[in-house]
Amino acid sequence: MNNHDLVSLLVVCQLAAPAATLILIGLPSLVGRPLPERATTRIVGTGFLIGFLAGIVTLLFLAARDFRPEVVHLGTWFSVGHHEATIELVADGLSLPYVCFSTGLCGLVNAFAGKYLHREPGFTRFFVLLALFGTGMNLMVLAGSIDVLFAGWEFLGISSALLIGFFHERSNAVNAAIRAFTTYRICDVGLLTAGVVVHAAVGSGDFARLFVEDWPNGACLVSPTIATIVSFLLVFAAMGKSAQVPFSAWLPRAMEGPTPSSAIFYGALSIHAGAYVLLRCEALLEQAPLAQLALIVIGIGTAIHASVVGRVQTDLKSMLAYASMTQAGIIFVEIGLGWRVIPLVHVVSHAIVRSLQILRSPSALHDRHELEAALGGHPGAGGWSLGSLLPEKIQTRLYRIALERGFEEMAVGRFVVGPVLQSLKMAAAAERKWVAWLGGARP
Amino acid sequence: MNDSIVPSVLSVSEHLNQSVLVAVSVTVAAPLLGAIVSSLGFGRRSPRLLAVTAAAISLVSSLAITVLWSLSDGRPIGYGAYMGGGRLLFVDGLTAVLLPYVALVGLAILLIAPRRSLEQAAVTRILFGTAATASLFVTSHPLAMVVLWIMTSLPTWISTKATPGGRPAARVFLIAMTAALSCMALGTVCMLVDPPWETASGWVGTTGGWLVAIAVMVRKGIVPFHSWYPALYAGAPMSTALSATMPQVAAYTAVRLLIGHADGVASELVMLSQMALITAAYGGALAMVQRDLRGLIGTLAMSQSAMVLAGLSGTLPMELNGALCMWISSGLSLTGIGLATWALESRAGVISLDTPQGRFWDAPALAAFFLLFGLACIGLPGSLSFVADDLIVSGSLDEQLHAGLLVILSTVLSGIAIMRGWFYVFGGPTTADGTRHAILLRERVAMLALLFAIFSLGLFPAPLVQSLDRTAQELLGTQRDSPSPRGQQSPTDSNGVELHNASGER
Repeated sequence: MNNHDLVSLLVVCQLAAPAATLILIGLPSLVGRPLPERATTRIVGTGFLIGFLAGIVTLLFLAARDFRPEVVHLGTWFSVGHHEATIELVADGLSLPYVCFSTGLCGLVNAFAGKYLHREPGFTRFFVLLALFGTGMNLMVLAGSIDVLFAGWEFLGISSALLIGFFHERSNAVNAAIRAFTTYRICDVGLLTAGVVVHAAVGSGDFARLFVEDWPNGACLVSPTIATIVSFLLVFAAMGKSAQVPFSAWLPRAMEGPTPSSAIFYGALSIHAGAYVLLRCEALLEQAPLAQLALIVIGIGTAIHASVVGRVQTDLKSMLAYASMTQAGIIFVEIGLGWRVIPLVHVVSHAIVRSLQILRSPSALHDRHELEAALGGHPGAGGWSLGSLLPEKIQTRLYRIALERGFEEMAVGRFVVGPVLQSLKMAAAAERKWVAWLGGARP
Repeated sequence: MNDSIVPSVLSVSEHLNQSVLVAVSVTVAAPLLGAIVSSLGFGRRSPRLLAVTAAAISLVSSLAITVLWSLSDGRPIGYGAYMGGGRLLFVDGLTAVLLPYVALVGLAILLIAPRRSLEQAAVTRILFGTAATASLFVTSHPLAMVVLWIMTSLPTWISTKATPGGRPAARVFLIAMTAALSCMALGTVCMLVDPPWETASGWVGTTGGWLVAIAVMVRKGIVPFHSWYPALYAGAPMSTALSATMPQVAAYTAVRLLIGHADGVASELVMLSQMALITAAYGGALAMVQRDLRGLIGTLAMSQSAMVLAGLSGTLPMELNGALCMWISSGLSLTGIGLATWALESRAGVISLDTPQGRFWDAPALAAFFLLFGLACIGLPGSLSFVADDLIVSGSLDEQLHAGLLVILSTVLSGIAIMRGWFYVFGGPTTADGTRHAILLRERVAMLALLFAIFSLGLFPAPLVQSLDRTAQELLGTQRDSPSPRGQQSPTDSNGVELHNASGER
């Protein structure tokens, strides 16, 4: 077995291990024989452990070779005429850190959730969705083509929405899940169209046709016009998954899901999926200064918005959601500035810290209550902030804006969603009247 | 030595053709016999057993056709009278792929139908409808297709009319089908008198082409003739609505009468393609604001069916290939959604989408199946619809940008509608009375079979796609080598069809 075969095997393991757990715990549920809790967590944990170890070994192997990328060709899925859907995975300095920290975090959350969700009615459902998420995440980050990347991206969106609505008996959770999925789906148009433009431009979805796959030293292989169009579409797609303004309203509501999934999705991995796509296509962005400028503007806007709004939140998980959003905005700015390694380091460090904070949040609240009980009152006000330097009038105005969440939801609802839904409802009502008339009903 | 091999190869080919013929006969005869036996009152005690047996035989024999076809040399087989570019019995790659699909849909419906919906008359109607649909899929004879359009519409109308509260829907269906059948009959006659694909064709042939195109639009529920689609789902039993819409009789007719002769009906196909794209997007948008589950399924079915026609009306093999994949994937997925809904309705009554209904606690297994079918319908990676979407979007884009964008828009809107529907049906405060309704074994088996078909074909699509590619090439090749419609027969005609006389001899 030569080096390439070894890396191929390890990369396949990173993808196959979580996918196998998905089948192993999903199929018995589908035929009406769900596995016991312990078996479920062990299987999922083993899958992520294998993926993590395979990722670490590959990372070390590549590090020894100065992170020269390794392309793993798994074959042609199907082909028609000149159209070929190939399955290619890439192990390089971008994908492997992502695989390692995503499978590692998934494994840790698996261990945490095994206790946290003990005897919860949706226990198996949670782990099925966690395995689906892990599979999707690894598929996305290892993707060597935009088609494969989109497949992983879809798994992320679906598992995310289903976990937000995990406590399905709560209407708030249901509405939050629908809102999140709708936002994802609208922004998916960007990625889908980008895929289509890439196919039309270079005849294939392979990244190797778009840029030299030598991250972080990739070079663009297409014209600036194509690079600009694709970059803008990717930015649009990334805005939804990474909750950038004006698509950020779903994120604080997403905390309706169980704490372990909130930690891994909205503190660590899912919220950085957009950043990953942009980092993967950084070579295109370099050829598209307008898209870079847009990224910077969006990132700054989101960071300011989330920072201001997050300060007036009254529950811990919402505060953490806005804090995640702020960091995601800053990461967008970093990518827009053309930096490559710094955003990656930022993503990994932020993901680890934030997921720890979210996982800790329920017990932190408990500890805080105990502290207050012991002290017989509030332990004291927070420290100094930059905002206190502003004139009081501006502070009051900012406070009102923050309470209204920056009027973002109101604006999107009133000027976009509302008119569209109203028109559709009118069309549906007209259809019903027409059918009733055809059916013989007369006024 | 070569001399000894050639005759043996020929005889193998002939033997395969004869076997295909036998399998086709069984596929059609089994449900027909079942319908006759049921109408005579036999099997009254266990109508499901009779119906499922007949449908299962039909499925097995249709699968045999697929296997035999894959072993054959791939040339279409034609028997019987030759007219208007079609033959009374015609089997090609399209038939070989679609017959098992039609049979599987029929079997799943019979397995899941609630007991009270499976009385003797209903079984007779369902089996007769299945036999008529299967017959339509093995002919390319224009007049036979007109007759079979009537035969496939009748059970739907009777069944809808007999349903309590179904008369308005039956009336809407009757109006639509009367219009469709009139256009189809008149258009077919015009096309036979003056084939539009012949160079000397005049206004009669052109009128015929347009009439058939309009008939296809009405029967497929294309805007502005789409109203009967959601109305049927709202007013008819689910089995009737699914049997009437899922096989996509009009799409098959479009393939045989229009797409096979695209040179003569190019304008009609462009119109069909554009209207189908609009319908796909409009149906997806309407599905997002439906107030009940049946309305959601009806509008989704309308959107997906339009997407099939949009792909079929394209001029590239890739688009046709995608459309044929979509035909199967959306049909199986929507059948699954419809059947899960039916099973849920039999436990909980009509399901509104105005507020979250909280049915998850009551039926978690149905929630899982509904979700999987829903996701498979909107292009979940790993399902056949992902492959279909990929082919249609890529194919459309090769031709025109707006088509690809409309397909993407339709997929996105349908996805939102499906997930909203799922959360509103199964999410929300529970309204169950405390007793859980477990899924029945036959329901689970039927749904697992549908899921297996969707995901096995989605994960390993290469054989299906290659087979459909050959079919698509043949269909598009037909337009380049349009046959002389009347009388000029040869051992192998310009379609590559092996010609036989009425008794099946060469």
